Amino acid sequence: MFTLFDHAGFKRVKSAVVPGFRFRKASTQDSAEAFGVKAVMMTALKPGEDSGP
Amino acid sequence: MSDLAAQPSVEQAPLEGVIKGEVLRMYQEVADHPEQEFHFFHGREAAEMFGYEREWLERAPAGAVASFAGVGNPHLRSHLQPGETVLDLGSGAGLDSIIAGWQVGPTGHVLGVDLNPHMCAKAEAHAALAGGTMECRKGTMEDIPLPDASVDVIISNGVINLSFRKRRVIGELYRVLKAGGRVSIADIVSAKQLSQSIVNDPKLWAS
Repeated sequence: MFTLFDHAGFKRVKSAVVPGFRFRKASTQDSAEAFGVKAVMMTALKPGEDSGP
Repeated sequence: MSDLAAQPSVEQAPLEGVIKGEVLRMYQEVADHPEQEFHFFHGREAAEMFGYEREWLERAPAGAVASFAGVGNPHLRSHLQPGETVLDLGSGAGLDSIIAGWQVGPTGHVLGVDLNPHMCAKAEAHAALAGGTMECRKGTMEDIPLPDASVDVIISNGVINLSFRKRRVIGELYRVLKAGGRVSIADIVSAKQLSQSIVNDPKLWAS
C-alpha cells in the first residue's frame, strides 16, 4: 500500500506498526502472523504550492 | 489483505460483489449486535487497546463506542485544526467522525462516506447525540462522492484493505484532497503475498 501512495503522488509517506494490534481468535492471529499481517498507521501529504519536493 | 488485490482481473469482478456483500453483512452485524464476540476486537475494548482517550470514550454515545471496529488510532497523527474539513472514509457507526468533529469544532466540517446507508444514518444520529454534526454520504471508496480538492484531511480506520482496487482508492484520496492536504489512516497490510484461496474467501476479507 505504501507504494500505491508514492505512485499516486503523495509525499512524506510514513508508516508505523500499531502496537498491540491482534485478532481475538488465536487461530486467526496465528494465520495472520504466518502471512506477516499487521496493522499500521500511515500518514501522507498531498503536495501543495509551498510543500517542496 | 495484501496489495495483491490492487488490480482485480476480469474473473474477479463477480467475486468483488460477493466480498462487498460479506463485508457489509459483517459490519452491519457489529453495529446491530455489538454485544457479540467477533474474531477481531471491537467496541470499547478495541478503542482502549489503540489508545483512544478515555475522555473521548466517556463523552461519545455508547452506541458509537460499542460498534467501533477500527484497527488503530488515526487521530494520533491527524493533527486536526479548528475549521478544517475532514473526510472519514468508511465512517461506520461514527466514533472517528465524532472525535474529528470535536477537534475541528463548529467552524469545521466532517464528511463521512460509507457503503451502507443504514450506517450513515446511524453515524449521523450518533454525531448529533454527541453535540456535533457530520454529513454522511452513501458511496464507495473507489468512487468517493466528493468534488476534487474539497477536503483538508482524510482519516480512515481499517477500511482500505477491504477494497479490490486499492490503486483506485488511493487515487481517489489524492483527488479529493486539497493541495497540502494530508492523510492519517490505520489499516491492515500483509508482508507476504496471500494465496489465491485466501483472496477468494469472502469471510477472510471481512476479517
